[in-house]
Amino acid sequence: MSLLELRNVSKVYGELKALDKVSLHVDQGEWVAIMGPSGSGKSTMMNIIGCMDKPTSGEVLLDGVDISKESSKRLTDIRRDKIGLIFQQFHMVSYLTAVENVMVSQYYHSMPDEAEALEALGRVGLRERARHLPSQLSGGEQQRVCVARALINHPELILADEPTGNLDEANENIVLDLFAQLHKEGTTLIVVTHDPEVADAAQRTIVLEHGKVAREVINENFGK
Amino acid sequence: MTKRKMFLRMITASLLRRRSRMLIALLSIGIGATILAGLVTIYVDVPRQMGAQFRSYGANMLILPREGETLTRADLDETLQAIPREELVGAAPYRYVRLDMTSRQQSFTAAGTDFAGVTQTSPYFSVEGAYPAQTRELLVGKEIAETIGVKVGSTMELTWQPTAAASELSPEESRVPGASLSGSAEGFGGGMVYVTAALNEDAAIDSLTVDVSTQTAEYGGRIPEDETFLAQFTGKTLPLTLGEDVDALSGATVTSGAIVDALNRAVQAAAPAKPRTVIFTVTGILTTGGEEEGYVFLSLQDMESMTGSDRLDVVELSVSAGADQLQTYADAVTGSGGKAQARLVKRVTRSEASVLEKLTALVFLVTLVVLLLTMICVSTTMMAVVSERRREIGLRKALGASDSSIRAEFLGEGLFLGLLGGVMGAVLGFVFAQAVSVNVFGSSITFQPLLLPAAILVSMAIAALSCLLPIRRAVAIDPALVLKGE
Repeated sequence: MSLLELRNVSKVYGELKALDKVSLHVDQGEWVAIMGPSGSGKSTMMNIIGCMDKPTSGEVLLDGVDISKESSKRLTDIRRDKIGLIFQQFHMVSYLTAVENVMVSQYYHSMPDEAEALEALGRVGLRERARHLPSQLSGGEQQRVCVARALINHPELILADEPTGNLDEANENIVLDLFAQLHKEGTTLIVVTHDPEVADAAQRTIVLEHGKVAREVINENFGK
Repeated sequence: MTKRKMFLRMITASLLRRRSRMLIALLSIGIGATILAGLVTIYVDVPRQMGAQFRSYGANMLILPREGETLTRADLDETLQAIPREELVGAAPYRYVRLDMTSRQQSFTAAGTDFAGVTQTSPYFSVEGAYPAQTRELLVGKEIAETIGVKVGSTMELTWQPTAAASELSPEESRVPGASLSGSAEGFGGGMVYVTAALNEDAAIDSLTVDVSTQTAEYGGRIPEDETFLAQFTGKTLPLTLGEDVDALSGATVTSGAIVDALNRAVQAAAPAKPRTVIFTVTGILTTGGEEEGYVFLSLQDMESMTGSDRLDVVELSVSAGADQLQTYADAVTGSGGKAQARLVKRVTRSEASVLEKLTALVFLVTLVVLLLTMICVSTTMMAVVSERRREIGLRKALGASDSSIRAEFLGEGLFLGLLGGVMGAVLGFVFAQAVSVNVFGSSITFQPLLLPAAILVSMAIAALSCLLPIRRAVAIDPALVLKGE
């Protein structure tokens, strides 16, 4: 069953066609990587899937709902309820502790629950660092907090933008292991990346070039 | 944890953990609130401060006898009831007469007054030496002192000559035989005893009527019924001595004495005025820069014993009140139907009112400017805070914050800043106002308890208003910016 489906989605900025009639679908529970060189339309696609932008034409079905024509207020609601975001730059609120950063996500979603937030930090191995400010955490630790924050509201879809772009190899592996766990639990993962190694961890890789899907690669070795 | 708790935790953390940034915002609002609270305190206090200040420029109200009436010291005390004691800075009664200095064949205007009152109503009087402290002491105006060459410690022999004007006060007919006399004196327990005596052709008492209604009924009050006691007076010539000419009524000695005193006073007042001479010691030379330098000043007691009258010509009052309030008091005095009428010294009250008006207008203007500057400053700081936190705002929106959440958070921070700034402003503002008051006006001010909530509310309102534009900008931030890996 498909969680996300793009039908002939185009995004035009003046003369530039950032996305050109792209169609793709992602099944519930699937782990998909999106690759492509700079300017291939990755970011645009990410914005559209993440409910932060609307396509010029085409349909985007998220969980059976066409989000391509929703108001930005509705898009905010959908993003909050269904999507967990992970960013390349981590993006934590600098003056809040790790656990408070996780709670911010709960706060906007429903109700802040410190015990649950601490448990989520435990899952990413940072139970002990819960009271630290972002400036007291390493990049890898910050990204793990962001993973905890993304999963705290049990989203249908976790959307990660270059999640390991700023990490060393050890931390990259930790984050990928966390993704693997989430995948096992049935969470749908879409990971935008440059890094072939990160893409190789996914079940399927979609390669974008010049705003079009150039090819799709099924990872034969997935799970092995 | 409730949403509200988390909200408070976020905004307080934002302010407390980003100290250096928020300190600037807090400082701008705190300083603004300080100056505002200080100015408002001064603004409220200025009339009082200046009122006290103005009093050093002299009397602002005059009490004069009503036309055809005579004002005495006793009447004055009654008149002053109309003015609240705490607002009455001072009262200086004056009685003016001409006194002759026979040795130099000159005459001067002499003012009988109460020197304690003068020091309060005319603090600008400059005395070389000292004010007279007892009877037979004289304060001499500089002009006179230079003319006749007296110094502190010199003596001056002054004579009072009854004039036509003075004779008027002791009507001719009251002195002739066959007239009637009336007088009063203080009896038992402070109540007044009034007497009226008709004189026969030999100026002896023909008949006597007493009014002792203020006296104790079973003692002094018995006198009108006591024929024997009253009969003693018939045929006697005034003045009388109790115990010699007449005997006191037993059990009513005080009242009896009062009747005798009243009669003696009546006859004394009716007696033809005689010239009296007193040798004064000069205790001080007065410099005022005004016409007072051409006067000599003596105590009211001396004036009374020389002229035999306790009438007053004018009483200068210094009242610490605004022009409108003064007019109310003056109307109360004039309208009371007593012997006195009050007038404002327009020259003083008008200039006071205009100076006050200008001063309050100035403070008001400065307050307005400071208010505006504070708002601009806070707004600019908040604007900087918003652009500095663009990414955080984008992140919050990406995490699902609605526009109203972003608004609430920034407004919350603004209000919290306003609260802190307000407390700071109220406390420091009072210190500031106190410093200004002590340095400029030379007097301290009392803390207005209302200042604290008022300062907090105002600075919260300013903070909230200043946040409006920055908030609009924050709301307009695109959440997608967090994805671009900036």
